[in-house]
Amino acid sequence: MSLPLIELQDLVFAWPNQPTLLDIPAFRLDAGEALFLKGPSGSGKTTLLGLLGGVHLPGQGRIRLLGQDLSALGQGARDRFRVDHTGYIFQQFNLLPFLSVRENVELPCRFSRSRAERARQRHGSVDQAATELLAHLGLDHPAMLARRADSLSIGQQQRVAAARALIGQPELVIADEPTSALDADTREAFIRLLFTECRAAGSSLLFVSHDQSLAPLFDRHLSLAELNRAAKPREA
Amino acid sequence: MYLLRLALASLANRRFTAFLTAFAIALSVCLLLAVERVRTEARASFASTISGTDLIVGARSGSVNLLLYSVFRIGNATNNIRWDSYQHYAQDPRVKWAIPISLGDSHRGYRVMGTTGDYFSHYQYGRRQHLALSQGREFADDPFEVVLGAEVAEALHYKLGDKLVLAHGVAAISLVKHDDKPFTVVGVLKRTGTPVDRTLHISLAGMEAIHIDWHNGVPARGAGRISADQARGMDLQPAAITAFMLGLNNKIATFSLQREINEYRNEPLLAILPGVALQELWSLMGTAEQALFVVSLFVVLTGLIGMLTAILTSLNERRREMAILRSVGARPWHIAGLLVLEALALAAAGVVAGLGLLYAGIALAQGYVQANYGLYLPLAWPSAHEWTLLAIILGAALLMGSVPAWRAYRQSLADGLSIHL
Repeated sequence: MSLPLIELQDLVFAWPNQPTLLDIPAFRLDAGEALFLKGPSGSGKTTLLGLLGGVHLPGQGRIRLLGQDLSALGQGARDRFRVDHTGYIFQQFNLLPFLSVRENVELPCRFSRSRAERARQRHGSVDQAATELLAHLGLDHPAMLARRADSLSIGQQQRVAAARALIGQPELVIADEPTSALDADTREAFIRLLFTECRAAGSSLLFVSHDQSLAPLFDRHLSLAELNRAAKPREA
Repeated sequence: MYLLRLALASLANRRFTAFLTAFAIALSVCLLLAVERVRTEARASFASTISGTDLIVGARSGSVNLLLYSVFRIGNATNNIRWDSYQHYAQDPRVKWAIPISLGDSHRGYRVMGTTGDYFSHYQYGRRQHLALSQGREFADDPFEVVLGAEVAEALHYKLGDKLVLAHGVAAISLVKHDDKPFTVVGVLKRTGTPVDRTLHISLAGMEAIHIDWHNGVPARGAGRISADQARGMDLQPAAITAFMLGLNNKIATFSLQREINEYRNEPLLAILPGVALQELWSLMGTAEQALFVVSLFVVLTGLIGMLTAILTSLNERRREMAILRSVGARPWHIAGLLVLEALALAAAGVVAGLGLLYAGIALAQGYVQANYGLYLPLAWPSAHEWTLLAIILGAALLMGSVPAWRAYRQSLADGLSIHL
């Protein structure tokens, strides 16, 4: 594990006219790693993910993704960089309800040429990539793929979201509380499935959650509160 | 284009609101085009009420007044003109034809016009169309024959051979009737879409005959009365007429003859160019017509503002949709483009549906409008002017769409990927 996938250095961020929210001296995520980052709501977790996605820029310090300094890129380039290299899974209602399951999975390939290209290289076509990924995630009924996304159960929807994050093998998958809407049994099964698929796609996983009980499943776990110097005075 | 596909799918997801929005636009577009078509057609049919006539001559008053009573059968002449004045100009070498007209009587609300056979051969309307009979013949030597305009015959259910009685004056409820001298229907004219349809045509001799025993505006009594048969044997040459129309051999002579008539020493006369007077008259009504157009423009604006409101209201509940799109790689300009496309799609649907409504409306109302208002609404492709209007509507929709697009752009920059809303 030579080149870190994500590297933060002396990152400081504050929203305009507000006290410093994030002050992270150092953080890294290696390629192929599955990291659990514990962060309760209000801890600056969402902001951190925004920074990693290049939606916001840090006030000070550096964010490198695959060695690329995000601050050095323009707004459009950061957007492109994000979709080329990162897949996202959110808490719930991840999907566009008015599109079919298949169309939802294929969305990143519509906006990123490199992900469409990688999907084609590995599976032959984007269509095929979606079908195979969904089959791996247990959604293999052909009729199901044509259904509206919001006709699926929450658990199924999260698996569709995972397939969407993984299509075109991005280097990084960021999962933000993806299991909070699931019950305890499906929760662990979902995470294991996610591990398998990330490994198959060669993607690193950054899993953010407030639920400490999930931490043992991961290679490594960290707490945002420990990383973030700005959070300490509040806890003390 | 994938963005369009997304925009349409998102609209389809909100199909009820989208339908209502597009429907409002459709109604407004239909209204605008209908007003536009009726306006154009009314103007055209107005301008073609009379054609081929170079000068209309009457007693000196105003040109619009003369036009109104001589062509539109509205209002009354202030004065008659003498028969010899008419003769003087009818025999002028520059004059190709002359039609004398004599007005003042009516029949159940429809005006009666005394004229000569020249009227049928020379009077023109529309694109130089001559009058034509749909049944029967023109009035001939017998003074008590009448040729009906199409609408008169239809509305009053007259057929050839029917007898009718004319009333003195033009009040709707006629006071005194010429009931001692009934007229026989000998012909019915084809529909023209002009005031000719609402006119009863009799010969000048007939006009003279029904008034022959009148003195100072009242009929004679007892022994002074002259029966129809007696009248037939009398000299029925009128001493005065209301106006006359002239067709010239050479159009270039129009202005000099007009000046000459206006300066005629023996009687104060007024000669007008029908085209100029028509324009003058139309400019009076033009204001109303333009007001109608402006109102329908505002209705379209209202429709578009309705669309703007609908899209703006939807923005907040669609923040999640925007964030999802951002997370799968849509850039802020994609989001903005999505909303502009949405506005365009709604407006385009509205325009197409509006055209559909318009054509359905025209197809349904065509016959009725023509029969009742003499307006022919063609079921034709939109004119260049109408296409321009439609393009302006789409352009306005584009402009309006850029408002929510800009807001969504700002919003998606601020929200980023945060989906917890």
